Amino acid sequence: MDAAEICVIVLRTLQVGCVATAAILVPGIALGWLLARERFAGRMLLQTIVCLPMVLPPVAVGLLLLVTLSRGSALGGLIERVFGAPIVLTWWAAAIAAAVMSLPLVVLGAQQGFLAVPRRLEQVAATLGASPLRVFFCVSLPLAARSIAYGTLFAFARSLGEFGATTLVAGNIPGQTETLALAIYARIEQFEDQEALLLSAVSIVLALLITGAAELCLRRHRR
Amino acid sequence: MNAFDLHARYPGFVLAASATWHESCVALFGASGSGKSTIVEAIAGLRADVRGTVSLGGQRLDGLPSRRRGIGWVPQDAALFPHRSVLDNLRFAARPGDADLLARVVDALELSPLLARRPAQLSGGERQRVALGRALAARPRALLLDEPLAALDRPLRARLVPFLQRIRTTFDVPMLIVSHDPLEVMALARHVIVLEAGRVVAEGDPREVLAAHEALGSLRGLAAENVFDVSVVGEVHDGIVLVTTPHGVRLAVVHAKGFGLPRRVAITAEDIVLSTTAPSDISAQNVLAGVVQGTRASGAQVVVNVSVDGELFVVRVTAKAAQRLGLVKGRAAHLIVKAHAVLAVE
Repeated sequence: MDAAEICVIVLRTLQVGCVATAAILVPGIALGWLLARERFAGRMLLQTIVCLPMVLPPVAVGLLLLVTLSRGSALGGLIERVFGAPIVLTWWAAAIAAAVMSLPLVVLGAQQGFLAVPRRLEQVAATLGASPLRVFFCVSLPLAARSIAYGTLFAFARSLGEFGATTLVAGNIPGQTETLALAIYARIEQFEDQEALLLSAVSIVLALLITGAAELCLRRHRR
Repeated sequence: MNAFDLHARYPGFVLAASATWHESCVALFGASGSGKSTIVEAIAGLRADVRGTVSLGGQRLDGLPSRRRGIGWVPQDAALFPHRSVLDNLRFAARPGDADLLARVVDALELSPLLARRPAQLSGGERQRVALGRALAARPRALLLDEPLAALDRPLRARLVPFLQRIRTTFDVPMLIVSHDPLEVMALARHVIVLEAGRVVAEGDPREVLAAHEALGSLRGLAAENVFDVSVVGEVHDGIVLVTTPHGVRLAVVHAKGFGLPRRVAITAEDIVLSTTAPSDISAQNVLAGVVQGTRASGAQVVVNVSVDGELFVVRVTAKAAQRLGLVKGRAAHLIVKAHAVLAVE
């Protein structure tokens, strides 16, 4: 296994993680705000559904995704008609699996962040004439930003290491859908322990770099 | 005309309060739990669970969302945005093109040295001033001040009261002040609405209403406060101005530059130190020689009436101190009052 091959795997892992995290950031914040600030029928059900990927076995989530995205399904068929190719067994499918598995972390981080924002500040902002959108963007969101940032960081880390759901919907196609987690598992299956250990070490370095950089950014922001 | 007629029912508490007033500065007065804050929040449009009507300046506000009511609400804890500097807090409220107003607010509340600071770097009094400024910067139709001085100790309160008076005169904004402190009410309001257990039990001129209410026994100790109409004698010197009461008692009062001269002063009975011998070499600027007119027990304290040149002062001392000093009618007494303890009222 040469450096170029490792690079391809690392870049694919980062690509899947970035796309998955970017895709869930806005809906995750919106869901977190909704669950923290609004009282509506079905709120408990929504909270449960949001948390399901954390509770269910990842392969079960993968199976549900496979059923939902396969060519025979309505959504899978629609995607194939629009993009001219099935989405299953592509790196996009890996990103979707990672997004679904990581979404609860962004939602819960945002929810806790918004719950920690004193209502009084939002009320004062409203009495000062601010629209609900301005209250959200100028008061609630900045004050919940730290929790959201940590939730997003964990979601990104989770998506980098996603395995169970990804392996079902994206398979393990070298150079195409092979992320670090999938590559390590494949090497172990093939009794290539040294390569598996090398990729594990790369994973550790990657995780340290990402969490270290994020922590530095958050500290700077705190000051 | 301004009015509210508000109703709400909570476990163990029923709000059924209505009042009408024409004055520009009104106080909602009552003990904790009497419903003052609920009414203020309902006026600001923040209590969906309170039914009824609210009119300010003749305009009906009920039914409008809080952002369209034009209410400058200043909560007790100031509620400044912690992630924004003082200037950004003010800018949040100001409309585009309101730079002149912003400058006037900064000037009137003396906020210039604070503009770059974050709320966490401000003292309690500074936070309240910034919150006032922020509310004013939004060009409100009325200011609702929810216990604006409650979080401050008495010297700080005395320093903030002139700012509130200045706001009233400089910006010509009607004010509704929530307070449980009769001194604040008398210093700031021209009309008081007294609340008890969610109902309005009295309203009118603060001095008359509060004194009458004390006679009913529900506001213990209020009559013990010393409030005098005064005339200024001499010029301001080193931040102190001399005033004289109708009976000619002279008092040194702290006077902040740029504020109006006092026309009335108030001193709490607890802020007066009583001595039976003439103190010498003392830092306090007001030492008044008088004669004890009588005493009466009030809980663990004794209320002492002291006549100074015909002006009656009410002092509170502990029962132990009264016994030690042998305070009986006819006994000579010297009242010691710091200039800072004399609350100057416009």
